[in-house]
Amino acid sequence: MVLSTTVSQRKHIKRKAPRGFLKRVFKRQKPHLRLETSGDLLMHLNCLLFVHRLAEESRTNACENKCGIIKKEHVLAAAKVILKKSRGS
Amino acid sequence: MADSGSPDSEPTTRTLLRRVLDTADPSTPRRPRSARAGAQRALLETPSSRRLSSQTKTTARRRSQRIRSIGKLAHVQASGYLEEQTPRTLLKNILLTAPESSIVMPKSVVKPGPAPQVVQPSSRESSRGSLELQLPELEPPTTLAPGLLAPGRRKQRLRLSVFQEGMDKGLPLSQESRGNADASSLTSSLNLTFATPLQPQSVQRPGLARRPPTRRAVDVGAFLQDLRDTSLALAPPDTVLEDTQPFSQPLVGRSPSVHHSLPCPSHSGAEDAERAVSHRTRSTGPRLQNNSPGKPAQLLAGKAEERTEKSLSMSKVKEAARARGSARAQEPEGHTQVTEAEGSQGAIETKEPEGSSGDCPTSSRRVSPELASSTPEFLQAKRIQGLEPAPPPSTAVLPSEPLEPLSARLPPRARTPGPKACQNPYKTGLSHYAKLFSFYAKMPMEKKALEMVEKCLDKYFQHLCDDLEMFAAHAGRKTVRPEDLELLMRRQGLVTDQVSLHVLVERHLPLEYRQLLIPCAFSGNSVFPAQ
Repeated sequence: MVLSTTVSQRKHIKRKAPRGFLKRVFKRQKPHLRLETSGDLLMHLNCLLFVHRLAEESRTNACENKCGIIKKEHVLAAAKVILKKSRGS
Repeated sequence: MADSGSPDSEPTTRTLLRRVLDTADPSTPRRPRSARAGAQRALLETPSSRRLSSQTKTTARRRSQRIRSIGKLAHVQASGYLEEQTPRTLLKNILLTAPESSIVMPKSVVKPGPAPQVVQPSSRESSRGSLELQLPELEPPTTLAPGLLAPGRRKQRLRLSVFQEGMDKGLPLSQESRGNADASSLTSSLNLTFATPLQPQSVQRPGLARRPPTRRAVDVGAFLQDLRDTSLALAPPDTVLEDTQPFSQPLVGRSPSVHHSLPCPSHSGAEDAERAVSHRTRSTGPRLQNNSPGKPAQLLAGKAEERTEKSLSMSKVKEAARARGSARAQEPEGHTQVTEAEGSQGAIETKEPEGSSGDCPTSSRRVSPELASSTPEFLQAKRIQGLEPAPPPSTAVLPSEPLEPLSARLPPRARTPGPKACQNPYKTGLSHYAKLFSFYAKMPMEKKALEMVEKCLDKYFQHLCDDLEMFAAHAGRKTVRPEDLELLMRRQGLVTDQVSLHVLVERHLPLEYRQLLIPCAFSGNSVFPAQ
């Protein structure tokens, strides 16, 4: 009736969230804080959205330069913008 | 208990014991008898008196009386079992439990002699002695009994001491032998130990005594040659792996001698044989289980341990005896055997230098049945890793099959399994998101661009954690909750009044995570996840 917190039906999840990695990253950065169970899923969502925005921005930069390949400079420029946007403060 | 039709002329163990019980002096001055014990003795007295009268009729009557007395005895025993563990009661128990038919051959006359004396000192000894009666391969009682019977039945205490002496004589021999065998250094005195290991096993644990397993004759020279080959192939690091014994001899002094004594490059033959054996055992387990227990473990141990010069036959026999003994004492597949067998390995290994190098294929073939052993497959696997890949054509196809993949496995073994996964798990996680970046971009990318993305991600994670900490502190908490995450996303501009968090969750996360994040109502007025 009530679903379990673990995924038991099919273990094969496409685009699995690296929950362990995220938890470890958070612990390394802020050892005095704790992260809740669903928090790392939302963290993963946040990362996905960040990467998505970054990719979009990089693609736009590459297209503006009329390049068929995304280069380092495009990514760098895009990162500056997106990181500023993602500051949250 | 059913009566067996054995005539009086051929006394069975049971009848002899009975006779002893009845004729022996019932009142033991040492132990004060309770009323029940006295009743017991009274019961015994009556059959004994009848027995003394006429021997020809006794067989039938004895049994019937025995049944009756035993029936009554059961009563007494049931009530006072725990209270009085007298030799008499113990012997009675033996009679009750032991089978009627005489397993013992003509020696049965001799064996019951020590049995009554055994009962007296302790219950343990009595049980041992009684069980000894049943075991045909028991030697100490037979050897000791004549000496015991000579003084006469009245001097029971004297006989007990004599018996104990005899037992002690038998035991230290075996212990010595085992001690020597355990020590990797083998001396010629081990010759004596070959026979004795049989005894101590049965004496100490008569229930575990088994028939000696039939073993094929082994070409010792070829076998040792193969062993030498394998040991040569094995580098010192392998020995460290294989040396699972807690009391292994120091390898430092041994390894140089090993290298000296192993010049032949044909060691691979033995190794292959070992590999073949190990694999064969895995596939055909029951075939050579008897042989298996000691040999491969022994081989493995030998390589790991010191090699001393011994006669080929000596080490072989010793190995066989040891394997037999160890097989009897322990489970056939127990790893503990390895430790014992490993002790004998040293001797086997020393033999290797003496073997002929040309014997490799044949020896390996011959060796393989010996080596087919249940045991330490894990050890064998470790060994196999160090083995050279030169399967002799004569060996079976089966061994050659596992050899090749193993040999192929050897070179990559040196390298780490994954360059990034092990060294830098953080980088692995970042590369995971970098791959997603390349997917989202839908355009070809440079490698440097990907590295740039990883750097950005690193910065992003730092910012993320700082923000979360700020939000949690603002809420007066030390735990970061999903509400903090939602607030962050709102501030980032991802979650707006038009686009809620749930919408984003549904868009980007797989079903399983959606179910965990978005509360849903289920039957029975329950919501998951609980709010």
